[in-house]
Amino acid sequence: MIGNQILGNLLQGVILGTVYGMATMGLSLIFGVLKVVNVGHGAFIMVGAYCALVFFNTLGLNPIFALPVAFLLGGILGLFFYYSAIQRLLKAPELSTLLATFSIGVLLEEVVKLIFGSEFRGYNWMVDKVDLGLTIIPYSKIYASLGSILIALALYIWFNKTRAGSAIRSVVEDEEGARVCGVNVRSTYAFSFALGIAITVLSGVLLTMFIPVGINPYMGGGYTLKAFVIAVLGGLSSPYGAFFGGLVFGLIENGSYTLFALIPGVEPFALTRFLSFVILLLILLIRPEGILSKR
Amino acid sequence: MKWKYYPYIPVLLAYVVLFLIGKGVSGMWQLMSMLFFYCALGQAFNIFLGMTGYVDFGYVAFLGVGTYGMAITISKLSYLQGYGILIIIAGFLLSMFIATLLSVAVGAVALRLRGAYFAIATIGVNEGFRFLIEGAKIWNGSEGIIFMSDLNRIIGSKSASSLCTFWADVFVVIIALLAALVTLIYMRSKIGYALMALREDEDAAKVMGINVTKFKIIAFITSACFAGLLGASAWALKTPYVFPPEVFEIHYTVEAIIIVLLGGAGTLLGPIVGGLVYGLSKYYLSVIVPGFQLLIFAPIVIIIIILFPEGIIGMIKKRTKGRWVERFII
Repeated sequence: MIGNQILGNLLQGVILGTVYGMATMGLSLIFGVLKVVNVGHGAFIMVGAYCALVFFNTLGLNPIFALPVAFLLGGILGLFFYYSAIQRLLKAPELSTLLATFSIGVLLEEVVKLIFGSEFRGYNWMVDKVDLGLTIIPYSKIYASLGSILIALALYIWFNKTRAGSAIRSVVEDEEGARVCGVNVRSTYAFSFALGIAITVLSGVLLTMFIPVGINPYMGGGYTLKAFVIAVLGGLSSPYGAFFGGLVFGLIENGSYTLFALIPGVEPFALTRFLSFVILLLILLIRPEGILSKR
Repeated sequence: MKWKYYPYIPVLLAYVVLFLIGKGVSGMWQLMSMLFFYCALGQAFNIFLGMTGYVDFGYVAFLGVGTYGMAITISKLSYLQGYGILIIIAGFLLSMFIATLLSVAVGAVALRLRGAYFAIATIGVNEGFRFLIEGAKIWNGSEGIIFMSDLNRIIGSKSASSLCTFWADVFVVIIALLAALVTLIYMRSKIGYALMALREDEDAAKVMGINVTKFKIIAFITSACFAGLLGASAWALKTPYVFPPEVFEIHYTVEAIIIVLLGGAGTLLGPIVGGLVYGLSKYYLSVIVPGFQLLIFAPIVIIIIILFPEGIIGMIKKRTKGRWVERFII
C-alpha cells in the first residue's frame, strides 16, 4: 500500500519535474552564455503565471493560448533589461550583475503588485482527470508536462541544427574562439538573454497548472531557490543538464514529501523546502562546479 | 600628526545629533528609531558586503536567529525572579552565539565558493532556515514565540514598556557605533588591507600569500554577530514576539543592500548616509504612496549600480581629495 503510494508520488514527481526542468533552462542558458546569474529568475516565472491568469480569468481563454504571448512578452522584457542594464554591467564586478538582476526581480514583483494587488489569486482549469492506477492526475498537468518536453526538445533541435544555435553553443564553449571565428558575440549575448527570459516566462504559464493555492506577486522567491538547486544539479551552464536536473529534483521533492509525511509531528511541506536548500549546499560543497560538469 | 580614528568623529556626531533630535523634538523618536535601525543594519551588513564585495542574499537569517536567541532566553528563564537585566544580557549573548554558529556553518560551506556560486548558496539560507524551524517545529515552529508576559514578569511591566519604547533603540545605537568602530579598526589593520586586495583581485591576493578564506570568514562572522545583536534588540526587545515568516522576510536583505550601495559599499560613513537617505525617503514615501516604496527603490538601485557604483560617500571621497576634510571621510 505504502509502496504504491510512493510510486504514485514519484510518478507525480516525474511529471512535475519536466516542468521544473523547463523552468530552469532559461537560467542555465543565461549563465552559460553571459556568465550572469539571474537572481530575479523567479519573478519572471511569476510574470508567466500572471499571463495564464489573465488569459483564463479575464479573457476566458484556454491557458495554453497564453504560451505564445508569454514567450513574446518574455523576449521583449529580456531585450529591454539586457540593453538598459545587463549590457552595461558585463565588465563590472560580479556584485553588480547579481544586484541588478535581483533588483529587476523586485521591480517586476512590485509592478505586478501595482496592477493585480498582492493577494493570492487562483484559477481553476477544469479538465478531466485520468486514473493511472497508482495515482490520479488531472489532464492539465499532463498537458503542462508534455508541453515542457516538446519545448525542451524544440530547443534541443534548434541549438544543434541551426546556425544561431551553434553560435550560442560556441560562445558557451569559448568566447574568444567564437569571436575569432566570426561569431557576433554581442548580438549572441542579447539574443541569449532574451531567449532565456522568454522561455522562463513561458514556463511560468505551465507551472500554474501545479499551483492549487493560486499565485501572488511574491511566488517567485521559492522558484528562484528551486531553480538554483536544479541548475546546480545540472551543471549550471547547460540547459539540457537543467532539464534533467529538473526531473531529478521533481523525484526528490515528491519522494521526500512522502517520507517526511510518515514522521509524526512535522510539517512535511516545509521540510521538503529545507531539504532543497541542504541539497544545494551539499552539491556546492562536493562539486562546486556542478554535478554534470566535465573535468 | 596622523591619528587613525578621525573618521569616527563624524560617525559619533551623526548618532548624537539623531539621538538629540529624537529626545528633544516631541514625536520624532519613532522616526529616529527607524533611522537608527537602518543605519545599524547598513553598518553591520557593510562589514561583509562592502569589505569583501561578496553578496549575501541570506543576511536577514542572522537577524532572525538573533531575534530567536533573545526570545528563547526570556521565555525560558522567566521563572527566575530578580535577575532582570542579567537575563537580557544573557539574551544578547545567546543571540550572538546562535548567529555566530549559523554563520560558521554557512560560511564553512559557502565561503569556499566564488562570486556567483556564493550568492547562489546564500540565497537559500534564509528560506532554508525558516522552513527548518517551521517544518521540524523547532522553537514552537510556525506558531512563533510571544513573550510579552514573560518580559513583564522578569523586569516589571513599567520597565518592560520603557525597554520596548526607549532602551531597545539605545541598544541599536550602541550596536551601530560598535559596528562602525569595528569597521574602522578592520580598515586600519591587516584585515582591511587583505580584504581590499581580495575585493580588487582575489586570485592576485591569493598569489601574494594572503589567506583569503580566513579573512572572508572573519568579515562574515563579524557581520553576522552584529546582525544577531540587532535582531535581539531591534526586533525581539522592541516587539516582544517572533514569527518565522516575519523575521526571515527577504525584504530586509533587500533594504540592507540598498542602504549599503546608496551610501557607498566598503566605506565607513556610507551606511549612515545610506541609512538616513533610505529611512527618510521610505518614511515619507510611505505617507505619499503607501505600500509601493520598493517599486520606487528597485529602479533606483539599478541606476546606482550602473551610473554611481561607488555610492554617495564614494563620490564625496573623490571630490574632497587633498582637502582637510579628507581625513574625516572614509
